[in-house]
Amino acid sequence: MTAAALSAPLPRSRREIWCIGGGKGGIGKSLLTASLGWQVARMGRRVVLMDMDLGGANLHTCLGVPQPALTLGDFIRRRVANIDDVAVETSHPSLRLISGASDLLLAANITYQQKMRILNKIRSLDVDIVLIDLGAGTSLNILDFFLLADQGILTVVPEPTSIENGYRFIKSALFRRLRRAAGTSIVREIVDTAFDQKNPLGIKSPLDLLAAVEREDAAEAETMRREMAAFQPRFVVNQVRSPVDASVGHQLVQACARHLGVRATYAGYVDYDDAVWRCVRQRRLFVEVAPRCPAAMKVSQLARSLLDGDSLSLMW
Amino acid sequence: MVSGGEGMEARSRSGTKGMDGRRNYYDVLGIERTATLPQVERAYRFCLEMYGDNALATYSLLQPGEQQEAREHVREAYEVLRDPARRRAYDLSLAQPVFRREIPPPAPAPLAAVPPAAVAFPALEPPVNAPAPAPVHVHVPDPMPAAPAVPPPPPPPTGSGPVALGEPVSGAALRRFREGKGVSLDEIAQKSKISVRFLRYIEDERFDMLPAAVYLRGFLHEYARGVGLEPKGTAEGYLQRVPSL
Repeated sequence: MTAAALSAPLPRSRREIWCIGGGKGGIGKSLLTASLGWQVARMGRRVVLMDMDLGGANLHTCLGVPQPALTLGDFIRRRVANIDDVAVETSHPSLRLISGASDLLLAANITYQQKMRILNKIRSLDVDIVLIDLGAGTSLNILDFFLLADQGILTVVPEPTSIENGYRFIKSALFRRLRRAAGTSIVREIVDTAFDQKNPLGIKSPLDLLAAVEREDAAEAETMRREMAAFQPRFVVNQVRSPVDASVGHQLVQACARHLGVRATYAGYVDYDDAVWRCVRQRRLFVEVAPRCPAAMKVSQLARSLLDGDSLSLMW
Repeated sequence: MVSGGEGMEARSRSGTKGMDGRRNYYDVLGIERTATLPQVERAYRFCLEMYGDNALATYSLLQPGEQQEAREHVREAYEVLRDPARRRAYDLSLAQPVFRREIPPPAPAPLAAVPPAAVAFPALEPPVNAPAPAPVHVHVPDPMPAAPAVPPPPPPPTGSGPVALGEPVSGAALRRFREGKGVSLDEIAQKSKISVRFLRYIEDERFDMLPAAVYLRGFLHEYARGVGLEPKGTAEGYLQRVPSL
């Protein structure tokens, strides 16, 4: 079947890769990935979940299926002929799971080109949405996949440590992107300097970096500005317990724009919900078992927003 | 309504930039010029919360002093915009250019209508031919002065290192320094892409011919760099002499 025939009934004809990251562990990225994928599948899209969480790949547990015996790495290394051979079925017919190439990603010397190749392989999957759980941290591999995704989804919970790591993630990802876009050795040097938080140039934020590049090279600064404008991470606030918690997402968007020069958007939030952990204990997915619980409803809204490219906005 | 990343401009803690630190009161609250009073109120409460002590979204991003300062700006903006009479006067002042312009200013567009990139990433030091930005206000105090907690990045090395002139800096003093260095206006113009005409206006103190302060500051930075002066101090010293500031 051709891509055009596949996507004909869909309003958005493109296959998309969504990456879910977050600076901190234990904030519900895996559960969010699993439940989001399930909701997107329920909305009629064909979805593949991919587990690239090196620290603790457990998407299969969230979904209540056994860990896949084969991984994406087996396909990339040609141990299996078809990428579909490494995908396992889940409880939803339109939702499959692929165990990520964690063995590949663990290799420190994987090049950017190799990462692009892996993503191209992933894009060759006969599906609508590929949802990748990147796991915690800001390692280069994680940042690169986040940057290469069609939607980079950044999960935070309303806690100081998570927010701090979220900002670190954004800065690291953007600096990585700017480093790749830098056209001259001087600008590359400035970006490299900026990676160090105590750099002698006093560069603390991407805006400081932009100003430093501007002083050296106006044309390069223009490139940087374009790259910055194209970098649009999508915030998801998880484990929300109050309206104040939910509004943290709006504050993050505003703070990013004002103080980092980053055009983030607020894709949505998910409530803290006892039903969620009750389901986790039973190794069942809450969106499936308790579709009317607040968290499940919010994941459904989130899925809709991500499919439609919508964001929560301040209504005032 | 202010949506996502569009409804606010994305300038940094001013003072770390060569850019004019001025942000108008609407930008400070992240609202449009057409915002109603209830919208002003809601935006005010939102901004106060965002910059509150230990506020989740800003505590790890800003120094406590910067949070405090941001709160003061928010209050200042609110005090004016909540009061219909003061707001009208302020709106009028926004509509007035500081200097007679070489370039006709475009109609001030509401933030959301400006192309996102232009809003989020304004040129730090726009070239001469760039369209003028929304006019800078005249009579109101600067709502966003330099944030002291963040030291400005040191200027790039220029030969023997930049020199500071005493304040205030006159056009004549600039010319003397430049001639002492043996640098021609053409050389500065080539490096900075600022036309010789404007560089000459700076030295002649033709304030009526110079662009708005936001641009002039950028020009002065370029001029200072071109002759090996410390840019920030030079620009500030010169701007002190501009009568309408």
